[in-house]
Amino acid sequence: MLFSEIYGSYFQTVAEVLAEACDGTLTERRMTELVREKAFAESALTIPSALKSEAWPLLDGEYRSVLRHKPTMPLTTLQRRWLKALLSDPRIALFAPDAAGLEDVDPLYAQDSFVFFDRYADGDPYEDPVYIQCFQTALKAIRENRKLRVRFHGRTGGRHSIVCIPCRLEYSSKDDKFRLLTAGTGRFGTVNMARLRSCELLEPFDPKSAAPPQGHSEELVLLLHDERNGLERVLLHFSHFEKETVKLDDGLYRIRLRYDKDDETELLIRVLSFGPVLEVKAPAAFIHLIRSRIQKQSRYLREDAT
Amino acid sequence: MAYSELIKNFQRIRNYMREFYVYGLKSREEYRLKSARSYDNERRRIESWIGSYMSFRQDASGKTVFLSVDSRHIPHNPLHRAFKAKSFTDKDITLHFYIMDLLDGGGVLSTREIAGGIHDRYLSRFSGAFFPDESTVRKKLREYEALGLLRSEKRGREVFYQRTDNPAFRLDAWADALAFFSEENPLGVVGSFLIDKLGSPSDAFRFKHHYILHALDSDILCDLLLAIDGQRAVELAVKSLRSGRDYRRTVCPLKIYISTQSGRQYLLGYHYSSRHMVFFRLDAIQKVTAGNVEKHYSKYLEYQEKFDRHLWGVSTGPDYNLDHIEMTVHFGPEEEFILRRLQREKRHGDVERLDAETCRFSADVYDAAEMLPWLRTFMGRIVSLRCTSQAVEDLFREDLARMEALYGGGGDAVQ
Repeated sequence: MLFSEIYGSYFQTVAEVLAEACDGTLTERRMTELVREKAFAESALTIPSALKSEAWPLLDGEYRSVLRHKPTMPLTTLQRRWLKALLSDPRIALFAPDAAGLEDVDPLYAQDSFVFFDRYADGDPYEDPVYIQCFQTALKAIRENRKLRVRFHGRTGGRHSIVCIPCRLEYSSKDDKFRLLTAGTGRFGTVNMARLRSCELLEPFDPKSAAPPQGHSEELVLLLHDERNGLERVLLHFSHFEKETVKLDDGLYRIRLRYDKDDETELLIRVLSFGPVLEVKAPAAFIHLIRSRIQKQSRYLREDAT
Repeated sequence: MAYSELIKNFQRIRNYMREFYVYGLKSREEYRLKSARSYDNERRRIESWIGSYMSFRQDASGKTVFLSVDSRHIPHNPLHRAFKAKSFTDKDITLHFYIMDLLDGGGVLSTREIAGGIHDRYLSRFSGAFFPDESTVRKKLREYEALGLLRSEKRGREVFYQRTDNPAFRLDAWADALAFFSEENPLGVVGSFLIDKLGSPSDAFRFKHHYILHALDSDILCDLLLAIDGQRAVELAVKSLRSGRDYRRTVCPLKIYISTQSGRQYLLGYHYSSRHMVFFRLDAIQKVTAGNVEKHYSKYLEYQEKFDRHLWGVSTGPDYNLDHIEMTVHFGPEEEFILRRLQREKRHGDVERLDAETCRFSADVYDAAEMLPWLRTFMGRIVSLRCTSQAVEDLFREDLARMEALYGGGGDAVQ
């Protein structure tokens, strides 16, 4: 049973309140702070009053816990089985977590229960020892705020060696690839992990002075002509973008979405994939790109017909 | 009943959250699913859980609420929070902490001893508190055993309980793996529950092309995975996403098909009545009821393997017959990446290089119409397109003509 109160924010927050009460450091103000920090926006109206009114008789009048221990809870069967299933995912090799304690647990599912039918076939090599080592070093650098020296082959085959400030590892499920997002490396802000040949930990950096790279954001304005279930297909397909949709007329909608200029070609072919259901209204440069492809395609089909 | 930010049933909120996140179009007046009061309550709840991701727009049709988030810039799926809002009674939360505390440290106690301990150790300190009887305690202990928090042992006529902690297991060693798989795994909400137990969660990952909506179907997915693991037939209560019609199907659940390019998730099952493989979108499934163990499960899995060889996506076409399709693509001298694109994206079929600048993709699939969106991504390079389904060829040409018209035909002016 996945939807259960034992996984809920209230149980979690009350456990944290009781843990501080066990230490003897809980005050009314601190309790409200904890609730605001850990639970939902309106929880401050319910949790403190339930504890104070003894509707939940867990604290005495002096904000001390009536429990003998700080609250803890074992893992549920669902949690254990889910963790065990992760051990069969090829990407778990990148993390190599300690699997002790899960020996007698049945996995929740077999890895092949899932079919990712449109995932690209040239995903990262998760079993390659060099890849694993680079990944783990990069992860450690991010965790410990250390600079990295990375050596890699560029797209054209050229060799590069740069010192970078690692910010995040970015994963795309569609591409099945990890990319290292870095700061302060000019044109090498993003490096495909599969291109790395080596990765070396360097000195610490001050995280306050290393802002993660900000993409060059642009706005794409689309008209959606709702046919062939286009409204649902388009909005789901572009749902991972920050966007706003407005209905203009029956079967006609305007979508504004923000995208990273670096991903323009990818977005272009994604828009093309919807055919006449989507009509680009801005920016002008994007319209030019679309028109150019359509005109080339029309010429090919005319030639093919003759 | 007084308003609460917690909920008993997930179904209604699942619908609202999908509406707000995917569409974000309707004003309060347009919500006809339930009453205006119900809309107000659901919107207020969602705002309480994930208010920082919500936006509002006021226009002539009224106030419109929508969820807008660039999932590339957030470490955690905000929709997971909906699964942390299950309602409970005062007794539930109080007994939870008492029972976990009484059995902390490896203690083994009988139902009677636990009920007595609850009274003597805790409740006797409060004058107005409730006093649960032994049967209430017994029910809670059984519930926790089913969840795996406790294990039981029968000694004579008494049942003894113990917590299931395993000191060998170290959750903190999983921090980075949890940060990754809580987002990337189809049932990542379980990872989100585990992250809540960590003192300092990892913030090392971000996710591109990240579809977060599927999280709302986690409960359904979990039930299906349990049935697949147990090789059990299931009865599905389904609500058609287009017509809203309710219907039931009994199937042998075989695989979960997931699109990484739309986030849609499907169950592929053998439908006993029609004797066909059938796909069901998970967001259309309202309830899963597990049935008997399927004796012929491996036989149906073999069907699925054969069936999968000619699936482009999740459509079987009108008649389960195969369409043959061939697309010839041109690429320039510096455009070898087109060949690589075909190889990595083709799923099935073959790519044959015809000369230095031309190659041909060919495949046999159940429904070639389903390939049209992908074929259009090569627009501007398709030298020829041939398909045994004339309708597919015609639609490609008609759509191209309409696109030409939309963008001003041969003119260069930008509208």
